[in-house]
Amino acid sequence: MKHLCLQPDGDQRLRLSGLDPVILDCLQSLPDILAQRDASGVRHRLFPNPTTTEPESNRDWQRLITPELHHLFAAAGETVTLDLAALAADPEHNNHFQITFAADHLNAWMSALNQTRLILGELFSITEADMNHTDFNLDQPKDLAVFRIHILGYLLQLLIEHAGTA
Amino acid sequence: MPQTGPVLINDTKSKEESDIPWNVIVLNDPINLMNYVTMVFQRLFGYPRDKAEHLMLEVHQKGRSLVWSGGREQAEHYVHQLHSYQLLSHLEKAE
Repeated sequence: MKHLCLQPDGDQRLRLSGLDPVILDCLQSLPDILAQRDASGVRHRLFPNPTTTEPESNRDWQRLITPELHHLFAAAGETVTLDLAALAADPEHNNHFQITFAADHLNAWMSALNQTRLILGELFSITEADMNHTDFNLDQPKDLAVFRIHILGYLLQLLIEHAGTA
Repeated sequence: MPQTGPVLINDTKSKEESDIPWNVIVLNDPINLMNYVTMVFQRLFGYPRDKAEHLMLEVHQKGRSLVWSGGREQAEHYVHQLHSYQLLSHLEKAE
């Protein structure tokens, strides 16, 4: 990941470059993972109740608010999925890739990356201890999930830093 | 990210009940990045970085943090926005 870089590409676009094959694989897995946002066990994390004591308020929330949040999350995922079609070879680094996307998609990217990390976390019941694990066997689905959560977290970190300076 | 305004639930609550302060609580989770949580607190509440970091660390170390207190409608709005950023949060009556 030593070449990984996010920088402006003109006034209106951002370029994420230096994507090695591992990061590329994580990015290309996004649409399939995001498609699992409605899986049982995931919904309660992405669409939690607003109270712990008011069943009626929680029902109202799930009826009125959750569809809106679902639309918001899906829209962010679709934006990033469309952006991913522009993945191309990075001319500056052999066997690396880059992507440019509209700067005003930055929030959608942060949302989609974070959704993906949370979905993986729920699908594989990832704990704090799992997240502190550093010895990965990528043939094991749970280890692969934690590894992807970390890689996508690294990308998210870049976006957050950029958002803080934009 | 979130662009929507406040949405009232249970808007038939009595005046007396609506005067009770409500706390917005954010809960820890193993996935969200610490600086992501800090960024959300800054964006959403307009908190300076040091206050946002203090609250984030409280979430991380104690498992929860009271990040805002006030009227029910505004508390619901903040919980809505926190959920749109995928932070675990809820509102509860102040004791």
